[in-house]
Formats: sequence, C-alpha cells, structure tokens
Amino acid sequence: MSPTPDTSVLLDHLFRHEAGRMVAHLARILGPAHLDLAEETVQEAMLKALQTWPYQGLPENPSAWLFRVAQNSAIDAVRRNRLIGQKTDAVVAEIHRSTKIEFADPDFEEQLRDDELRLIFMCCHPAIPRDARVALSLKIAGGFSVREIARAFLMDEQTIAQRLVRAKRQIRDQALTLEMPKGPELQKCLDSALEVVYFIFNEGYTAHEGEDLIRQDLCVEALRLAQRIAFSSIATPAVHALVAVMAFHAARLPARTDEAGELILLEDQDRSRWDQRLIAMGFHHFDRSICGDQVSEYHVQAAIAATHARADSMESIHWPIILELYDQLFAMNASPIVALNRAVAIAKVRGAEEALAAIVPLENDPKLRDYYLYLAVRGHLLLALDRHADAADCFRNALQRRCSDPERRFLLRKLSECEPG
Amino acid sequence: MPNYLLLLYEDPSGWQKLSPEEMQNAIEKYMAWTKKPFMVDSKRLAPNVGRVIRSQGGKPRATDGPYSETKEILGGFYAIEAADYDEAVQRTLDHPHLEYGGTIEVREIYRR
Repeated sequence: MSPTPDTSVLLDHLFRHEAGRMVAHLARILGPAHLDLAEETVQEAMLKALQTWPYQGLPENPSAWLFRVAQNSAIDAVRRNRLIGQKTDAVVAEIHRSTKIEFADPDFEEQLRDDELRLIFMCCHPAIPRDARVALSLKIAGGFSVREIARAFLMDEQTIAQRLVRAKRQIRDQALTLEMPKGPELQKCLDSALEVVYFIFNEGYTAHEGEDLIRQDLCVEALRLAQRIAFSSIATPAVHALVAVMAFHAARLPARTDEAGELILLEDQDRSRWDQRLIAMGFHHFDRSICGDQVSEYHVQAAIAATHARADSMESIHWPIILELYDQLFAMNASPIVALNRAVAIAKVRGAEEALAAIVPLENDPKLRDYYLYLAVRGHLLLALDRHADAADCFRNALQRRCSDPERRFLLRKLSECEPG
Repeated sequence: MPNYLLLLYEDPSGWQKLSPEEMQNAIEKYMAWTKKPFMVDSKRLAPNVGRVIRSQGGKPRATDGPYSETKEILGGFYAIEAADYDEAVQRTLDHPHLEYGGTIEVREIYRR
C-alpha cells in the first residue's frame, strides 16, 4: 500500500515486522518485566545493520542476521546487568540454545509465531485501557516508534509516551504474563485483541490521500496482526470474519480516490482498481468464517463487504440483501454510524423518503455532532428528492464540521450540484 | 581514473532516535548509493576500538580516546572514481549520509 522505491533491496516493512517478532522472541525468554530490554536489544541489532550493511553489503539472510545479532546482544546485556537475578545463567542458556537453531527450521518458525501470538495477547490484555492497548500493540508487536504512532493518530508524542508508560505499569502491577490465556479468559482476550486490531484498521482506513502515509500503514499492520491470529490454533470463525472485513475494505483503498486525489464514493468506484489479491484473501477468510453457529458483528460486516465484492458493477449489487444485513447489524449494534450506512441501503431499496425518516433520530446524536457524515448523508438523500435548497443547507453545514481535505472538496462538489441549472 | 576516499563521520547517538521503518529506509538509500557505477570499495570500521598511539617522551604509548572534541566518529569509508577532485565532490553531494546529519570528508588517493 506504500510506494516501493524500485531500488529497494529489502521487503516492504521488513524491519518493522521483524522488530515485532524479535521482541516477542526475546520477551518470552527474558520475561515480560524486561520488555524494555528486549526492545533496546532489537533496536541495537537494527542499528548495527544500518551501520554495516551499506558498507559490507546485504547479508544472505537479513532476518537471520538481525536475529543472531539481537540474540548475542541480549546475552551480553543479561550477563552485564545480571538483570534476571539468579536466573541469569538459565536465560543466557535459553537464548544461546535458540541461536543454535537453523533460522529456517520450521520448528523455530513455529516457535516465533507462537511467541508473537503471546505478545499480541499480552499487549491486548483487557486489564490495560483500550487506548494504551492500541499504542502498546503498535509499539511492541508492530515495531512502530512513539513518533510514528503519534503521527498515525494525529496526536502528540507526549500523550502516546504516557499511554505506553501506563500500559507497561499495568503489565507489572497486574503481573501479566506471556502465557496463552485458557478457557473463558481466552475468549475475553481474543475479543479484546480483535477490538484493538479493528480499531487500528479503522483509524488507518479513514486516512486520505495527501495525509501521512503512516496512517495507511495502520491498515497493513492491522491485517498482519489479525492474520497472525487467524493462522493460529486459537482462531475462531469471528477472527476469519474480521480478516475478511479488513481485506475487502483494504482492497478498495486504491479505488477510493482518483488521480487528482478526489474522493470517489463506493458506487462510482472503478472496480478494476480494487486489489484482487486482497479480494481473494477476503473470500478465503470469509469462507472459513462460515462455520459454527456463532454470528458476530464481524460476520455481518464481512457479509456486506462480500456482497459488494461479488457484484461486478454497481447495478448488479443485491441491495435487498445488503439492507437485510444492515438490519441485522443494527440489531446487534445500534451505533449511529451503522444507522447511517443502513439509511443508504434503505434509500436503494425503499427510496430516499424512507431513508430520510430513518435518520431523523440521529439528528442530535452527540457522537455525530462534530462530524460531517450525518449531514452529508442527509444532504445526499435530500438531493435525491430534488429538495435542492435543503440539501445545500446540509452540505454547507457539513463543511463547518471536522473533515479531511478530499472530504471537503467532495462536499463542495455536492454543494455545487444543488445549485439550480 | 583517480580514486577518492570518502570518510564518513557520524554522531552515533543520532541514529538511536530512528524507528525500525526509518532505519530500513536509511539502509535502502545508502545501499542504492553504493550501486552507483563509480563505486570502487567500501568498508565499515568497528565501533569498539578506541585507542590512539602516539609517542610520549620518546616512547610509543597507547591511550584511550576521545581523539577530538566533537561527538562525531569516523564510521567507515567509500572509495570512488572521479575525473578530478571537483567531480568527486559533485558525486558525493547526494549521499544520504548528509541527509542523516553525517559529515563526509573527500580526499584524493595518490597514485604511484
């Protein structure tokens, strides 16, 4: 999703992803109380790569190289600081043991996947406040820096740094471990992890052209984290449903704006610009989500996205099915955003008049008050009913609310459609 | 064609602030530069040696650094080909080391 310079010698985001895996690996051995040490060690290994590769050339296996250096530097740090108390020798022996394993060994790969999963679950533990869970997951499991997280969430670094401090304090105070949760605890932790992942994805998805690319990186990272869970033994149908939702939505990212960076609504999008690899990924996980009798919100959302993806043109979209799904989703989660999306489906099936009636209760919803979306949808429906002056009022008001530059230009375009003649 | 030595000085503490993604970007940029056709050789110096040997009272003595007042250390070098000194400097101007706050000293290597 980010442009790759044609001269690049490494996989996209390799360092970021490997940072997460290496921290996971070392944190399991060092213990969650020494997360900082694991992070510093990994940072040191990457620094060494930066200082040597440009002069000595790329190692044959960059990932293996990074792991080896991080492991050695962890051994040094543990010996130097005797951090782990009496367990120093055991810890050193354990790291040493893993340096002896061939990097490409499937057992080691599996160990790493398991380490990463444990780390994701600890970062997403329900005992940590959600904002802190999000920051911690991106920092520790995702390899983002404080500055990058701050940029991605349009916040200042201080705030993010404080959240991380709080999260790490929770880990110590609540004595959170890297053990995989079991029984009912597992379901709670899984729900929490999915919530964090989906939050990260949505934050990235609302970003627009012209905004910092790091915001779109959030989508990539959320998909990666969710896939880690989906490919593990604890994956439930809901996990696959979430991966499907995100893959379908991510597939539309390239078609969401035109060459000039102007916003294009779903109905006007050039479907040939949808990312077919991601669509295929979406269907793969969607198929795997339809087993068992559990129907989560992610299932319904995935079904809506799949219905859109299945249609080869806007005309062939089966709107009655989409409306039915939105009714179901609204019954599970009567959020104003769901209500707005449902209204668009109502307009397609039963006309704009009914859709307009359906969104009347949202008029004073505090969640929508500062947001342009309610007014934009209302204006859109009024325009369809040829109530041009009322529609123009809506778009003018929407322009006073919080929106990105492409959204602003979109509203201005709609406003001009309201002009007579 | 004459060869020139590019001595790359850096403040190692400056790198610490980079995120993994930024470090990867930096590596990509440095490595893209080393693919240029005029590149002859490149070597990195290990950071863990720190002794200077000089004669004191007629006897050679090794003392620990620092060797200069600045925080910058010599990190490595490249050897490049260029028609003359001006061209060597010209070819160095777009080196990413400068973008990351480093300094490059350009020296001609005498031929026999």
